[in-house]
Amino acid sequence: MLLEILLILGTIIFYFLRSRKKEETLSFKEGWWGRGQKPDTEEDATIWPFKVETTEKDLSDLYRRLDEARFTEPLEDSCFHYGTNSVYLRKVVSYWKNQFNWKKQVEILNKYPQFKTKIQGIDIHFVHVKPPCLPEGQSAKPLLMVHGWPGSFYEFYKIIPLLTDPASHGLSDEHIFEVICPSIPGYGFSEAPHKKGFNSVSAASVFYELMLRLGFSEFYAQGGDWGWLICTNLAQIAPNHLRGLHLNLASVTNMGFTHLLSILLGRYLPGLFGFQEEDVRRMFPFLKKGLYRILSESGYAHIQATKPDTVGCGLNDSPVGLAAYILEKFSTWTDLEFRNLEDGGLERLPVQVPTGIASFPNEVMHTPQAWAQKKYTNIVSFHLMPKGGHFAALEEPELLAEDILQFVGKVEKEQLWRKKGE
Amino acid sequence: MWLNTALGVGGMVVCWLMSRRKAKRLEVGDGWWGSGERSLREKEDESIRPFKIETSDKEIEDLHHRLDRARYAPPLEGAAFHYGFNSDYLQKVVAYWRNQFDWRKQVEILNKYPHFHTTIEGIDIHFIHVKPPYVPHGRAVQPILMVHGWPGSFYEFYKIIPLLTEPARYGLGDGDVVFEVICPSIPGYGFSEAPHQKGFDTRATARIFHKLMKRLGFKEYYIQGGDWGSGITTNMLIQVMLGAYVPWLVGFTREDVRRMYPFMQKNVYDILRETGYLHIQATKPDTAGCGLNDSPVGLAAYILEKFSTWTDKSFLHRDDGGLERKYSLDDLLTNVMIYWVTSSIASSMRYYKENLSRDPALSDNTRFGVYVPAGIAAFPEEITHVPCCWAKMIFKNIVSYSYMPRGGHFAAFEEPKLLAQDIIHFVRRVEQL
Repeated sequence: MLLEILLILGTIIFYFLRSRKKEETLSFKEGWWGRGQKPDTEEDATIWPFKVETTEKDLSDLYRRLDEARFTEPLEDSCFHYGTNSVYLRKVVSYWKNQFNWKKQVEILNKYPQFKTKIQGIDIHFVHVKPPCLPEGQSAKPLLMVHGWPGSFYEFYKIIPLLTDPASHGLSDEHIFEVICPSIPGYGFSEAPHKKGFNSVSAASVFYELMLRLGFSEFYAQGGDWGWLICTNLAQIAPNHLRGLHLNLASVTNMGFTHLLSILLGRYLPGLFGFQEEDVRRMFPFLKKGLYRILSESGYAHIQATKPDTVGCGLNDSPVGLAAYILEKFSTWTDLEFRNLEDGGLERLPVQVPTGIASFPNEVMHTPQAWAQKKYTNIVSFHLMPKGGHFAALEEPELLAEDILQFVGKVEKEQLWRKKGE
Repeated sequence: MWLNTALGVGGMVVCWLMSRRKAKRLEVGDGWWGSGERSLREKEDESIRPFKIETSDKEIEDLHHRLDRARYAPPLEGAAFHYGFNSDYLQKVVAYWRNQFDWRKQVEILNKYPHFHTTIEGIDIHFIHVKPPYVPHGRAVQPILMVHGWPGSFYEFYKIIPLLTEPARYGLGDGDVVFEVICPSIPGYGFSEAPHQKGFDTRATARIFHKLMKRLGFKEYYIQGGDWGSGITTNMLIQVMLGAYVPWLVGFTREDVRRMYPFMQKNVYDILRETGYLHIQATKPDTAGCGLNDSPVGLAAYILEKFSTWTDKSFLHRDDGGLERKYSLDDLLTNVMIYWVTSSIASSMRYYKENLSRDPALSDNTRFGVYVPAGIAAFPEEITHVPCCWAKMIFKNIVSYSYMPRGGHFAAFEEPKLLAQDIIHFVRRVEQL
């Protein structure tokens, strides 16, 4: 019966993906995402400093909503199997009301310099941290770090100092970075697009313009979750500007026949499909670790991919609902994580920019190097990390920083950006 | 074509495997859904208690308060209903809700039919019970149990009830078939208590409703409900592949073909597009329900989106989702209020997880056939069309199958007369047998 399901599901998805429009070229189209018509005047390219602010009104509105929250009793013994447990949620809300200090947190957010600039009609927010000091003769390498959902630029706050000031944190200072963490349009302090069609390629083109505007003609890019896809797209639209691409998630979504075969037989003949022992351990039994896990964790993706305005409505109005929805992911994805993205044809185009991949054990879906290689044709480093999950930068900043540093080390030492892979 | 071949081969293998299963009678079993342990010494209170829906100033003020402070995100330009409920139109609905909708008046309307509560398997079951005001001498009255779905309620039946209890008055025949109607609320929905234990599924619901009918003194009765709800079997997929070319070979009528093809577009894409809610509710109901139980505006957007799209797919292209073309705001908001005042949205969503998280092939209605005489009214705007030959796989004794001329998922709400006519037509057939 399970085989039947797999067969049917596989063929339906295959048919579905195949019948979608294929893009032959990676055209870098200028988008316009502002309100109404694009004006004829040239876009204002100024960059202005920005600080997060809060008011008493914000706070008292929040507290009122928290005070009046209506909860539903969980089923007996249900833990987190039905989603966020409301008994636990009440504890979180109580902390939020009584101990969490938003004003203090805003000060923490403002410790790194933040800016805004208008690109393609919308205001883009970003953090820009330069190294406090540079040894003589050394220049800082620009590093673009892109967050995902339901994360934000804040996920990088612990890792930033490890990259801008490695020496003070016990890491080698052979490579020092200046870090740029933008907010994806529609997230946090970046304006939301007003037009339909703003996808990961659009975000990549906006961030590309941002880096150019900041004066960087060559830079590194790092990302996980949506950041993974946006950075990958960046490597596909502007390969000559990207020295290297580091990912803490590498998902490969075009399911070929070999993939299907490797799922069915890979457990028994791992060598044949290029799987390492650790790959087998993380991926099999496939139905349990792959399919069922994906099905049980992807409801949010399904509804967000089809009716985002419906699902977002209540969450925008109820802070408790928003917390339940978001925190469920921070709970489950630190141990289980899922990603299933479609990028309409771009998935077929290989990535030739030197790539480093850090594969964390607690992702829902493990992508072995053998699969990643089909898409990322120039993998310079691929490491199976000993611990950590989806929110790597937040959870294991030292591990991630070390991996980024060794990857950049390799790229710089062997001047790998000069030769793009075949 | 390769798809057809692959499925054809796979299908044949599976058909052979499946044909080895034998049909059995579904076991009734028993259950306990109250909090804590069931007390074995106490006998369950079987009294049937009349009940009136009530409201208070406090309840209405709290609602108004939340409506006043609602926060909206503007829709994308030209989005209509393609991204879900359009928030510009939502603000209009909320303005009506806040300033013109009269909940006290609606509560009076709700109370026009007699409501009751009774405790079964540890939880309080709510139902309305409407008897015909006048029965000619010697005429039999057919008891009919009508079961709502999600995101509906017993309120969906308010327009059709008089057509069934007094058909002659509404021009539906000469009263040879007259009903007394029982509409319960599924446990976890509206005024029925939510189960406190895990595992409350359709089998448990059916058993509880059967006990309810027995308690009311009915040995035999009719049942009416929406949703065919069965897993897709490979058999069906083969028929789909061939059906476009040789419908007569696989048992499709011309109307079936017209409603089902192009298959990928009308079925696979549409199903994927419309089942996000089902996916999240079948996996994380408590997460999905949390914000909706706290924000009436969020609740309205979530529920009313279905009343738009499931009534007519073309409503997706409209800025106002076409809602007021078929329903009044009063009716729509009354249904939403039932979920709001009873805080039942999360428990109503859990029903999806309890029923869908097991292997669909093991679900009861695919293993056991239904041998009771069945009547099917196929409405054209349903999300998927189920041809008679597929329905026959589950319902072995189809007495009537009608292609309805118009209407969507919420048939009783939208086209009460059409549905009543079909029910009466079906019952006439059964009673003559």
